[in-house]
Amino acid sequence: MIRGLNYLLILTSFLALVGVYALKYQTVDTANEKLALQRHIEKQEGDLSLLKADWAYLNQPAHIAPIVSRHADTLGLAIIGQAQFIHITDIPMRTAQTDDDALTELFKSLDAGVDPIAVLIEASAQ
Amino acid sequence: MSMMSVEAQELINLEGERKTQRNLTHSRIRWVMLGLLALFCLVGGRLIQLGYANTATDFSGEARDLITATRPAILDRNGLELALDIRVPSLYAEPRRIIDVEEAVTKLTSVLPELDADWLRKRLTGDEGFVWVARELTPLQKDKIFRLGIPGLDFRTESKRYYPGGNEAAHLLGAVNRDNQGIAGFEKHLDTEDVALLQDLGLARDRALEPVRMSIDLRVQHAMTEQLADSLVRYHATAAAGVLMNVKTGEVIALASLPDFNPNEPATALEPVDGRKDARINRITAGTFELGSTFKTITMAAALDSGVVKLTDSFDARFPVRFGRFSINDFHGKHTILSVPEIYKYSSNIGTIKVMQAFGAENYRAFLTRLGFDDPLTVELPETTRSNIPAKFSEVGAATASFGAGLATTPMHMVAALGALVNGGNYVPPTLYPRTEAAAEALYRPVVSEATSERVRYLLRLNALDGSGSHGNKIAKGYRIGGKTGTAEKVIDGRYSKDKNLSIFASAFPLDAPQYAMVIMVDEAEAENERSGRTAGWNAGEMTGRIVQHIAPMLGIFPNLDATIDQALVPRELR
Repeated sequence: MIRGLNYLLILTSFLALVGVYALKYQTVDTANEKLALQRHIEKQEGDLSLLKADWAYLNQPAHIAPIVSRHADTLGLAIIGQAQFIHITDIPMRTAQTDDDALTELFKSLDAGVDPIAVLIEASAQ
Repeated sequence: MSMMSVEAQELINLEGERKTQRNLTHSRIRWVMLGLLALFCLVGGRLIQLGYANTATDFSGEARDLITATRPAILDRNGLELALDIRVPSLYAEPRRIIDVEEAVTKLTSVLPELDADWLRKRLTGDEGFVWVARELTPLQKDKIFRLGIPGLDFRTESKRYYPGGNEAAHLLGAVNRDNQGIAGFEKHLDTEDVALLQDLGLARDRALEPVRMSIDLRVQHAMTEQLADSLVRYHATAAAGVLMNVKTGEVIALASLPDFNPNEPATALEPVDGRKDARINRITAGTFELGSTFKTITMAAALDSGVVKLTDSFDARFPVRFGRFSINDFHGKHTILSVPEIYKYSSNIGTIKVMQAFGAENYRAFLTRLGFDDPLTVELPETTRSNIPAKFSEVGAATASFGAGLATTPMHMVAALGALVNGGNYVPPTLYPRTEAAAEALYRPVVSEATSERVRYLLRLNALDGSGSHGNKIAKGYRIGGKTGTAEKVIDGRYSKDKNLSIFASAFPLDAPQYAMVIMVDEAEAENERSGRTAGWNAGEMTGRIVQHIAPMLGIFPNLDATIDQALVPRELR
């Protein structure tokens, strides 16, 4: 009986040995993987910081202004003038009376299945 | 028998011996077991102890190098980056592991031609374990050096401060040294605040810090810098500077001083301009100047606030004021009796002296103290200086001081004082951090009455409509700008120079509801063309006009050409 127990114990210790070694190597692998990931993250953080710097540089007024002045003539760019501002209340209301007859005509022709605008477009396309 | 007995005796003996032997074995086993048990207890106990021990697993900063220390990004008020960290590789060598120094030198100089071969040879020879070879390389350079395959060379990633705007906000931001410590400007201020503490604790390393927001608006800053740079060409000026402040919150929206430097290369800050080493200082906070006639605004405010002088009063400005041998005259002399608004509009020195004398030199000196001219600047920059104002005015001293001669202040003091005079009479200390109006109101220090503030606004607007500020006002029409010019003769070798001026324009806008105060300064400006003049209205005044026209829409100020606004600014006694 003792002998049987001994064999069992030897077997368990052997299995434990294998298990512990496997676990150990697995841990080492995981640690390596973690390190690689960390390196990757660090590299990406570094790249990200460069990209951010690039983005910030490209967005700087100091960077955009020379481009604007270079193309100012061709694109007709200028500093916004005072006359170009107008208050919403300064926009006049529609003063002329709507042409009721023409509208009625339009609705009638639409009901009849003729779209005068489509006719115009087709005419210009030909 | 005897044999038997002997045998038996021996047997008994034998049996007894075996028994003792067994007993001995048993006790030995027991001792060994006890020993083992004690050992296991020891191991077990230690395990439990280790299990309970609290190890700081999250202290990643400790093992890292100081050189990866990071700084918080600096943003403008709209969130645009003014300064940020980038990760760059740096090359170091372990000389004791380098096999062939000569080969390493040849190969390295092929990639980094700026390295001196002799210096490099000396650097790489020896028994040291660590020497820097080249810091802050580009990723491409790193790749090339890596491919050289020289043993004993390696890279380390460092944080490098990068200012995407270049020179744009140089004086505001300052600079950092190779080890990422602030050496000037706002960067240095940050170090005195809390970054240094965090870095000392090892918390600021390799970890994203909360970005710091400044009160600066980069668009406005750009518009101002552009105009200042333009003035160096247009008026052949040697230097120019400007500052814009929100009068309600004290936030500095833009601050620039030319010539400037590139914060990415801090050494450029010390480069001399025309042989002058201090040419690149921050003129707004670190330079004191005689701000000339812009001080007449202060004198008028003091006079009106004292109640002794009213806008309807008139003073005799027919003859020069005499003090013994000295006599003070007017630049654009009218030589007639002038009302108070006329004195201001024509910038009469004689009239201003009379106004000052009416309420007293001592009161005037006290008023300057009240407006913060004697206090150190609160703005968060290490490069500040104090005003140079005599503690007590003599009779002549007070007279010249009333029109801004014989006393030197920083333009920053001026803009803060002007802000207080137009915002309803409350002094608010300038800051580079964003501040809400509610937070600013808690800091308000009343300096003049609301009625005085109203009259100062009228005078400023009057000068822009009819006086020396009209050149600027024409450009910035509709933005209700008002301001006072100042053309101070520069002191050269202890004498006032006749042909070298410092031109200043101290203004505020929009004057029907003041939001911003601005001081623009041009040094040694010349006339733009034959038809234009050399005085401040022609250069600093026009620059102010162009800046306001450019920035007002950014700041949400709507142009209004309605003439009734100007009429509404006229105080009741003058209507």
